Amino acid sequence: MATDRATGPTRPRPGREAGPDRPAPDPARRARRARRARALRPWLLLAPALTVLAVLLLWPLLRVVLLSFQDYGLRQIYTGETHWTGLDNYTTLLTDSALWTTVLPNTVVFAAVCVALTVITGTLVALLLQRLGRTWRIICSTVVMTAWAMPAVTGTYVWIWIFDPLGGIVSGGLDALGLIEPRETNWFTDRWSFYAIATLNVVHHGFPFVAITVFAGLLTIPRELPEAALMDGANAWQRFWKITVPTIRPVFTVVTILSTIWDFKVFAQIYLMPGGSGSNPDIFNLGVWSYHQSFVKNEYGMGSAIAVLLTVLLLAITVVYLRALFKERDDL
Amino acid sequence: MPHAPGRRLLAGAAALSLGLLTAACGGDASSSSGDGSGAGPTLDVWIMEGTNPDAGPYFEELAAVFEEKTGALLNVQFIQWADAHDRITTAMAGRELPDVAEIGTTWALEFGAVGALRDLSGDIEAAGLAGDLVPALHEAGTVDGATYGMPWHAGTRSLMYRADLFAEHGLQPPTSWDELLDVALQLKELEPDMIPFPVIGGTEYAVDAFIWGGGGQIAQADDSGRWTSTINAPEAVAGIEFLTSLATEHGLSVAAAETWTEADQLQSFQNGEAAMVINGNWTVNTLLADDPSWADRLGVVPVPGPQPGTYSPSFVGGSLLGDFTSDHPELAWELIQLMSTGEYGAKWADESGFFPGQQSLLEDVAAEAGPLVAPFATQMMEAGHSVPVTELYGRVQGAQIIPRMLQSILAGSASVQEAADTAAAAMDETFGH
Repeated sequence: MATDRATGPTRPRPGREAGPDRPAPDPARRARRARRARALRPWLLLAPALTVLAVLLLWPLLRVVLLSFQDYGLRQIYTGETHWTGLDNYTTLLTDSALWTTVLPNTVVFAAVCVALTVITGTLVALLLQRLGRTWRIICSTVVMTAWAMPAVTGTYVWIWIFDPLGGIVSGGLDALGLIEPRETNWFTDRWSFYAIATLNVVHHGFPFVAITVFAGLLTIPRELPEAALMDGANAWQRFWKITVPTIRPVFTVVTILSTIWDFKVFAQIYLMPGGSGSNPDIFNLGVWSYHQSFVKNEYGMGSAIAVLLTVLLLAITVVYLRALFKERDDL
Repeated sequence: MPHAPGRRLLAGAAALSLGLLTAACGGDASSSSGDGSGAGPTLDVWIMEGTNPDAGPYFEELAAVFEEKTGALLNVQFIQWADAHDRITTAMAGRELPDVAEIGTTWALEFGAVGALRDLSGDIEAAGLAGDLVPALHEAGTVDGATYGMPWHAGTRSLMYRADLFAEHGLQPPTSWDELLDVALQLKELEPDMIPFPVIGGTEYAVDAFIWGGGGQIAQADDSGRWTSTINAPEAVAGIEFLTSLATEHGLSVAAAETWTEADQLQSFQNGEAAMVINGNWTVNTLLADDPSWADRLGVVPVPGPQPGTYSPSFVGGSLLGDFTSDHPELAWELIQLMSTGEYGAKWADESGFFPGQQSLLEDVAAEAGPLVAPFATQMMEAGHSVPVTELYGRVQGAQIIPRMLQSILAGSASVQEAADTAAAAMDETFGH
């Protein structure tokens, strides 16, 4: 702390050499030292938080990347030896036809559909909340929050029960209408119906966040804007697209990015469904596939490579979104 | 720099105290695996929770006897089956393995192959137990003459049926495949709201029995120890064909069962929906605990074979006791032997509703077993089987290759031969072809 003590009381202002009224033996040196101290101080203050982050986040992340370049199985875990295989895991992964025909389409299409439905439903609910009176607004937002508060695991089991082919409410209803034969129906074996149920589950769990966030955004729009538009004869559709959307565009960007990240790495909602844990390879997505390779087949290196691929994909999408966001700012 | 000497002193003191601290930690860590109370060493033991509904008294008694015998203490921890494999793997990475642990039959070879388990064959031989262990369970933990797990308790699956319905309609429990089909078809007519025989796609053990019953094998090893799948050979396909045809041709199952696990199937039997199921001996206790009247409604026979009077062999599962390269191998073996043989072997089996892993004890149990236990004992002694004895089969099970095959047949997306060919190819890939 010698530097601090020496420069503390007479710290020069940024961008200025020591003043002429204060004679110093070596003003240039003192200023350099002061600058260094100033540059160091924020890092010093950030150090505890950064240490925690490094231990809990960065180190595991780094380990996953390192593992993805190794052949890492039970033997390596037990003996502690390292067996580097270079890009082998990635070559195997990227030349695996299952990645291109099943896993990637399942992940990307499912995420795209879920994000679109989540944002649309959430926005519609936000617009509804805005129009409601105080009492109904409280009731509705409480109901919406309940869907959000339900843990993913619980929610998934509820949806499984709802669609249970023998005793579920949906098959019971369709059976009563004479549309299906419950004894010959199983929605969990077919890729499309499986993902349709998963979509319902994920959208139901995800839309409340969008609804509440967009509703908060709606409250920031000055009342004069829609009123003026109304005076000019704009209908509701025009007011939404010309006033609401441009004004709170950053809110939409944020909820879309966050939903994309969440929906890309969906795991429990797929894994817990009947047939989702590996007995039906048609429904693997990147998350379940990675878990399957690592913890079921004990090929931790391969599992890590899949996890890295998922991360890179997410980063790419986020970067594209953020660039779009900043470009918009510059245009304004 | 007027403060320099003081700071240096401070830094020195800090470094010194840090050094002392690490030294203290090191000393602590090395002594903890040694003697705990000064009396003798402590063995860490991991046991699966739930097998024995009330395991506390058993282990208190065991610990007292063990201490009296050897002077060593036991530190028993109960872990969950569901995350036990991950837990052992994590413990391997962190060098925190227990001395003795209960392990699943397929794990013995997997952990044995990497050197985490000690070969017990020498101790078993020396104790004169080699000829007195339940064969399928002994085989399951043995590869190339090395035995990585001592049979502790065993269980098997047989055909469970609704004895009350059979009596009401004057039906006889099936003793062959034809009779199974016949009685199921009659039940379909007599009890239209029930599921005569759910063919489930979530587990492999029912279809394994029919594969073995038809004279087939899941996989076979050649002289060099290289495994090749034979699940697509004619005998195996005949077994798969028979079982799945009950659902696909004869409509004796429901579509929902395509993704059922054994737990779902048991639930359906318990709810009075399924009339016949293939399930394990340990589920009898579950049924009776739920409703004692099951004693009058439940019947059990060994899984029928293709011809009258034959049985389809059923997988003998259960658990083994393994020595995770303990620092005290003699004590570990002493404990394993105490738990798995004689008085405490029989006591554990009795309390948990399983069969003992020692053949002579099993024969005693079978001799005095009631009607709900004896058929399972017969199945185990006369028609027990183990899955391919290779560490790679654990991965085949992990990848759910056989459930995958079943689901594709039951859902109608592949013919039996196509699905079996796909499964064989997937297994061969795992076997390193």
